[in-house]
Amino acid sequence: MRQTDRHFKFDWITIMLFFMLAGFGWLNILSASHTGEIIDYLSFTEFYGKQLIFIILSVVLIILILSIDAKFYERFSSVIYFASLLSLVGLFVFGKSINGATSWYDLGGMTLQPSEFAKAATALAVAKYVSDLQTDIRQFKHQIRIFIIIVIPAFLILLQKDAGSTLVYGAFFFVLYREGLPKIYLIIGSLLIGLAICALKFGVIITMFISAIIVFGYYFSKKKKSSFLQPIITLVIALIISFLVRFTYDTLLPFHQKDRITIWLSLEKDAAKLEQMKKKAAYNLLESEKAISAGGWKGKGFMEGTRTTGKFVPEQHTDYIFTTVGEEWGFIGSFAVVLVFVLLILRILHLAELQKSQFSRVYGYSVGAILFIHFLINIGMVMGLIPTIGIPLPLFSYGGSGLWGFTILVFIFVKLDSNRINEW
Amino acid sequence: MAVNEANILNRLYFVAGCMFIFGLAVVIKLLTIQYIHGDKYRELADSRTIEDKPIPANRGNVYSVNGNLLATSIPKYDIRIDTKTPKKKIWQEQIGPLCDSLSKYSGRSSSYYRENLRKARAKKNRYYLLARDIGYSDYIRLRDFPLLKLGAFKGGLIVEQTTKREHPMGGISMRTIGYERTDEEGNITRAGLDGAFGEKYLKGVDGHRMKQKIGKGQWKPIKDSNEVEPQDGYDIYTTINVNIQDIAHHSLLEQLEKYDAEHGCVVVMEVKTGEIRAISNLGKSKSGKYYEKRNYAVWESHEPGSTFKLMAVMAALEDKVIDTSTIIDTRSGYKTFYGRGITDTRGYGKISVGTAFEKSSNIGMATIIDDNYSKNPSKFINRLKQWKLHENLNLPIVGEGEPVIPKPGDKIWSRNALPSMAYGYNMQLTPLQTLTFYNAVANDGEMLKPRFLRQVKELDREIESFDKEIRVKKIASDETIKKAQKLLENVVEHGTGRGMYSKYFSMAGKTGTARTDYGDFEKWKKDRKYVSSFAGYFPVENPKYSCIVVIHKPSIKIGLYGADVAGPVFKRIAQKIFTDTPIIDEIESLEVENAAIDKEFQNFYDIANTYLTIMPSVIGLPVMDAMALCENLGLKVKMSGNGVVKSQSIPKGQKVKKNQTIVLELS
Repeated sequence: MRQTDRHFKFDWITIMLFFMLAGFGWLNILSASHTGEIIDYLSFTEFYGKQLIFIILSVVLIILILSIDAKFYERFSSVIYFASLLSLVGLFVFGKSINGATSWYDLGGMTLQPSEFAKAATALAVAKYVSDLQTDIRQFKHQIRIFIIIVIPAFLILLQKDAGSTLVYGAFFFVLYREGLPKIYLIIGSLLIGLAICALKFGVIITMFISAIIVFGYYFSKKKKSSFLQPIITLVIALIISFLVRFTYDTLLPFHQKDRITIWLSLEKDAAKLEQMKKKAAYNLLESEKAISAGGWKGKGFMEGTRTTGKFVPEQHTDYIFTTVGEEWGFIGSFAVVLVFVLLILRILHLAELQKSQFSRVYGYSVGAILFIHFLINIGMVMGLIPTIGIPLPLFSYGGSGLWGFTILVFIFVKLDSNRINEW
Repeated sequence: MAVNEANILNRLYFVAGCMFIFGLAVVIKLLTIQYIHGDKYRELADSRTIEDKPIPANRGNVYSVNGNLLATSIPKYDIRIDTKTPKKKIWQEQIGPLCDSLSKYSGRSSSYYRENLRKARAKKNRYYLLARDIGYSDYIRLRDFPLLKLGAFKGGLIVEQTTKREHPMGGISMRTIGYERTDEEGNITRAGLDGAFGEKYLKGVDGHRMKQKIGKGQWKPIKDSNEVEPQDGYDIYTTINVNIQDIAHHSLLEQLEKYDAEHGCVVVMEVKTGEIRAISNLGKSKSGKYYEKRNYAVWESHEPGSTFKLMAVMAALEDKVIDTSTIIDTRSGYKTFYGRGITDTRGYGKISVGTAFEKSSNIGMATIIDDNYSKNPSKFINRLKQWKLHENLNLPIVGEGEPVIPKPGDKIWSRNALPSMAYGYNMQLTPLQTLTFYNAVANDGEMLKPRFLRQVKELDREIESFDKEIRVKKIASDETIKKAQKLLENVVEHGTGRGMYSKYFSMAGKTGTARTDYGDFEKWKKDRKYVSSFAGYFPVENPKYSCIVVIHKPSIKIGLYGADVAGPVFKRIAQKIFTDTPIIDEIESLEVENAAIDKEFQNFYDIANTYLTIMPSVIGLPVMDAMALCENLGLKVKMSGNGVVKSQSIPKGQKVKKNQTIVLELS
């Protein structure tokens, strides 16, 4: 009797939103990847066929996750985390390269990307550490430890030349902020980003001028004046950082990354040159913007997009799947997808706030934040809001590892959430 | 600092706020892409990477009546090379062999190509022309040359296909066969039959398919279902007879050259059907050579002169105001009508209407018509209108000249109009319109519309066929027709055309010599210009073809009269058609009988059928036959020597097994 009751405690809204995205995502993969007539929806040689199999298998995975006792995830989080790290290290020996990134295990006919699973593992580890009664996030010592937990997998992934996935670990910043990480990190972080963009866009001299106004303005507005050295040192640091940013941009960055930033910030003054650059370096972006614009208000209709069926947008079934939505479903469809994503994320954050156990709450926050970062980077990239960074759109993009990674991520939280009543 | 409720809530709001702002940014960006920059992107998209590419339909062929190809479309290729594409290593390895191949192909030296290709690569020329307008077989050959055979992406091969219209018969009747040409501004010129029937039959329907640009001018089809298959144009079978056309063309050319005339035309029409068998138009170019410049026969409406006397006299005969024997006074070669003098080449005095026609007396004709119709000119005009001489022929060819037949009240009408018209002035007809009338006389009064088209076909399927079109059912009574035919016959027998007479074949017709460009009469007197013509038909007994020859502005130092200038062309055509039209040459099938070969074969055949498991004697057989026999029995053959079988290792009559080896010794 009690067993049956528990089943209904799952948050069906989250589950529904999850499957809405996965289902609609599959329709778009079908449209983007089919060539000619569709004979077998479960064809293992076509992307859409594989993805449908992945979705079906993810249901099995969900049942498995939900049937394990909720306490398991908290208790075994360290084990899961270390296993995950091991799987990442193993890539250096057994890994397979696809598109320049050595992020896959070749399991004979199919590939597995451990970094997709490492997100959930890291989220569990972070939740475990932060929720430990001994941990005080306001202490620098503990901050460093959390930082190490996050950075190890991120660094391993970066070594595999998968910069996009590395950035996802930035999501934990939101989590820690929510859990009480001092504001100063947020301020410093924002200032650094602002400084870097300013240095790139306007050059070091103007950046320093602006910095000086801000720093001295702040200094003189303060009632309790500290040493005059303080603003000077701050400015010197800012100057060094500005130079470092410029230096990195001018000489260290590989060409393709440099071009992406150039295009994003319109750093090239010559409009014709920029246009030319766009055609070369931002070919994907241009194609994706063209595809989205082709959709108009209502879109061209399912399987009707010429740019989609014409395979104009490279990697359309994976990272650029949103362009299919844009072309075939138009503004209405795109808006709906954005809405469902935002609803899913907000729902998860809302549930996280309701958690009584800090472990569940931190984990829930992690899930929401990871989904959000993925969503932000992917959609932002597809539409040119941020520079091109290859990262899949959760539940939408083709790929078994990605889908299962998110399935595990979300459904562990669904399980934890269902256990809310049993806490204490 | 404790993490209190409010603080936490603020932080939550901050995180949610970030999300909300980003969501908003996404929506705004979506709107910008789709609406504000939508047009820009769509334009970019459409112009750069996707195009609804037309697949041009093949234009139909134009055939002569006897099935010769007059015009056809064939694909031509331009071969270019993108010298930037090949990698350095490949380039260095293959440039030598490529230049050698090109040298063999074109005859230019290998070093010529080597030098030019080197320069092209240095300049990064991505569009270097190797060969232009080459045929399919050459294209296949070039495509397999070193470097080029690596294709577009490795070898830099660029192939551009165009379709060229070719006239296998060369310049003959090019103007009539015509063309359709589109200039840079998109204006289309449609000339001749090709132009006339282009839109309706030859053109076909272009297909189209969506294609995506994959670089280097290469386009790949997006999907098959987008495609609209092109429908090739129909073939048209014209009424032109290549042999007659050839005769007409060369006869006219010869005469034009002889008389140094400005231009001329000749049309041959089949009497019973109205089908145009030949139409040739030649005009002198600045260099003094003659080319098919304009379709004079169809386009040029001019004062016909004496050839019109036939119409005038027939009108009078049909109205029974005269007979051929009616005597008229042509005086001494000069007579004034309403204050204007008309002259004849000499004075004929009192002669019959028949003689006046034969001698082509202007005074005679003017007198007949003026005497009988001056009180009621409309009667005469109406007779011409009954013959539809005032209407054009409504030909499918663009630019047919309009006839001019004045009537009382018109601007060009005066008291003098009627007598002038009697001998072909003060009015205009095109050569083809005049011929149509002459053909009607030859065809016992049935006036047919000249036709150029016989059949329209799609491969072997007939789409449309055309039969004769009657223009006027009967132009005059049989009596009048008979008299007119006799008159025309007499012109050649003992009239102005007697110089053309031949005792071997019969012709009937009327000469014409008309002044032209005489607007400024004083000027004309200093530099007299004439139009010489001859219209008629042949043979007299059972008319087969009617024909008109019109030659404009012959050099009068050499000659000017219709009988001298135009007549010979007519005669030559008639003569050639009846003496030179090739009887179909049949080559008897070549059958070389060789008793020895037959016997040998019979021998082999007999043995093969008799012996199925028993070894035959193959001694004395040629080696090929012996081998075949043995192998058919399932034996393995080994042999030594050359020639005829001398001995066999398995004797005759022995049963053989499969895969047994037999040794044959040959001598």
